[in-house]
Amino acid sequence: MSSRKMTMVEALRDAMRLVMRDDPSVFILGEDVGISGGFGGGFTVTLGLSEEFGHERVMDTPISEMAIIGAAVGAAMTGMRPIAEMQYGDFVFCGMDQVVNQAAKMHYMSNGQVKVPMVLRLPVGATTRGAQHGQCTEAWFMHTPGLKVVCPSNPYDAKGLLLASIRDDNPVIFLEHKLLYGSKGSRQEKTSLDPLAEVPEEDFEVPLGTVAVKGLGRDITLLANMLMVHRALEAASELEHEGISAEVIDIRCLVPLDFDTIMKSVIKTGRAVIVEEDNLTGGWGAEVAARLAQEAFYHLDKPVTRIAAPDTPLPCAASLERVYVPSARRVVEEVCHLLRD
Amino acid sequence: MISKVVVPNLGATGGDVTLVAWLVKPGDYVKAGAPLFSVSTDKAEVEVEAFRDGYVRELLALPGSNLELGAEVAILSDSMEERLPGVVNRSQAATVVRQPVKPKSQGDQRASFSSSQRTEALPSPPIESSPNTISVEQMLSMFRQMVLIRRFEDYLHQLFLQGLVPGTLHQCQGQEAVAVGVCARLRRDDVIFSTHRPVGHLLAKGASARSIAAEIWGKATGCAGGKGGQMHLVDAFAGAMPSNAIVGANIRIATGAALGFKLRGFDRVAVSFFGDGTSNIGAFHEGINLAAIKDAPVVFVCENNLYAASTHVSLTMRISDISERAKAYGIPGQCVDGMDIIAVYDSMSEAVSRARRGDGPTLLEFKTYRYAGHSRGDPTGYRLKDEVWHWRKSDPILRMRNLLIEGYQQEGASLDDIERACQDEVEDAVKFAQASPEPAPDSCFGPVYAERG
Repeated sequence: MSSRKMTMVEALRDAMRLVMRDDPSVFILGEDVGISGGFGGGFTVTLGLSEEFGHERVMDTPISEMAIIGAAVGAAMTGMRPIAEMQYGDFVFCGMDQVVNQAAKMHYMSNGQVKVPMVLRLPVGATTRGAQHGQCTEAWFMHTPGLKVVCPSNPYDAKGLLLASIRDDNPVIFLEHKLLYGSKGSRQEKTSLDPLAEVPEEDFEVPLGTVAVKGLGRDITLLANMLMVHRALEAASELEHEGISAEVIDIRCLVPLDFDTIMKSVIKTGRAVIVEEDNLTGGWGAEVAARLAQEAFYHLDKPVTRIAAPDTPLPCAASLERVYVPSARRVVEEVCHLLRD
Repeated sequence: MISKVVVPNLGATGGDVTLVAWLVKPGDYVKAGAPLFSVSTDKAEVEVEAFRDGYVRELLALPGSNLELGAEVAILSDSMEERLPGVVNRSQAATVVRQPVKPKSQGDQRASFSSSQRTEALPSPPIESSPNTISVEQMLSMFRQMVLIRRFEDYLHQLFLQGLVPGTLHQCQGQEAVAVGVCARLRRDDVIFSTHRPVGHLLAKGASARSIAAEIWGKATGCAGGKGGQMHLVDAFAGAMPSNAIVGANIRIATGAALGFKLRGFDRVAVSFFGDGTSNIGAFHEGINLAAIKDAPVVFVCENNLYAASTHVSLTMRISDISERAKAYGIPGQCVDGMDIIAVYDSMSEAVSRARRGDGPTLLEFKTYRYAGHSRGDPTGYRLKDEVWHWRKSDPILRMRNLLIEGYQQEGASLDDIERACQDEVEDAVKFAQASPEPAPDSCFGPVYAERG
């Protein structure tokens, strides 16, 4: 299997390209996704695809989030596999009825007579654009039965998970963190990590419903997703200098959630710290913490701890954003504090 | 047969109702649909109609008394000779209540629950469109479908008055020509997206009365196994996608289905049904505009029945014809008499041809009327009886019947046979629903996710 170094943007684009060559029912719709001379959606993910597949299959829409998501639902119900893009994940709330009342419920409401195989791509994450262009939205969807929720942290997973998501027969909310994209030129983020990874050029899938254990540890389990995986890994490496061995689990898919793997790790370490960029209250970490409290109670040496954004809207200024988004330093401090007590 | 008349649940009211007046007296013979008594609720004064033909044998409550929902207030029977059951408590009231009390004048003005039988005596305007291109078989088929819908809805309404229908009801009596005229122009592989008032659309597209009735009764044999309910009827095989109870949602969804058909090079068409109220929700704009710019093969079918729940259309827009809004999207818009099956059929013909040709969507507005309230127990205190009667004069089924007799030389008796067959089908469907098993408790838990395959 040949592979090459890819950014997440390249990996995502590669996934869509491969599946669109293979399956005529797959098409893309969104704002600015295919305009000739344009920028390939909000963050260049679809750049070049309209040249290969035409403007019908890489469909530019008006600024109509309701219609974008609704049309994707309708097309999916009648045999297509649409990939809809929100320019920013925050805009999904303009079309939330279509996600929650339509996409998520159609299969159940019809007792299985129809299915809704669609992907809704949401660029998320704080990037000094303020409260309406940077929140993490996964908890909203995790709370809605009928949706799957995927949130990769690296290019390899991004490609494999997107291919699996497009071929899944359910509506998949696919979150992409803007600081992990590796977009080029004017779309590049100032504070981005832009991880590069060896990614197979061929078609492959990372199954939904899996998490990834990143480095084995003994003393504590760090549970994180998207950008926070990188913060947690950075923290783990610092903690190693302190003599603390941390196991990092990348929650790359929130629904379905591979809770067994999380349990195994927490049973081994006896301690769990959750790191999320979303607001603290009602976030995905709250759900995981509740389940650990119930199912791993007798294996826990310390209370399950959540490190998350405060319960405020996202501030814009870089200095405030650094306060808001959990840092590796904060993770190190909280872990040291937890283990010291 | 002896039947008890009970106080129906009058929707928006939470508590008891007061019996204002009897409009019949013992010994009267009433037709189904005739007003029996008036009651006042905290929302309105309402007339309650007979759900069947029969003699008024007993009145069991006095004017001025407070009645619980479901309380028995009268007995109807096939003859004056039938023996009454001893179970009802009639000792106090029946001997006292002999003379009907005139209702208050205000109550007289209000519209009441409606039933089709009233229209039989009314003259109806002739259908003006030229029917000569439509075969007699097609005409009879459409007549049959319209009657089936009417009978279904009327029968459910009668059962509702007896407290025998679970859940909610949004009925479409009066709007049958739209459902049937539109679906008559569609193929089975074309898809419709209906609303919270879906029975007519589903039956017209080919769903079975049994599966619909069973769904309304929440049974395992329902079209959605009891998970959908009255507002979410579905028959994907017949091309009836799950009907949608979020106003405006299906404008976008139908557009998406149509975009998919076009991308794949299919000549299938999608239809979105919606009401006048929907034309004011943002989804209307986003969905139709997207369909227009992409030439999506979709027909937007607006059933303008003048009321968004209780709010008259004149209070929600400055224009008289919703079809005018088509201009804003650069697509054809047409305003059509929705009580005239031929006019519906003709307008739909052009709209579907245009869509199949790849020329894009059309906005069809059908002026129509719902005889029933918005939902179960809506006493329609917001509209005048005269208005209901005005529309009933152009009842679509009556006009169709007249056309069949005068323009197609059909015998009245053979049309009566069709009506009877429809009534039988409806009663069979309800019996089937009532006799069907409840869904298995475990079926509550799925299917939430589709299996990959």
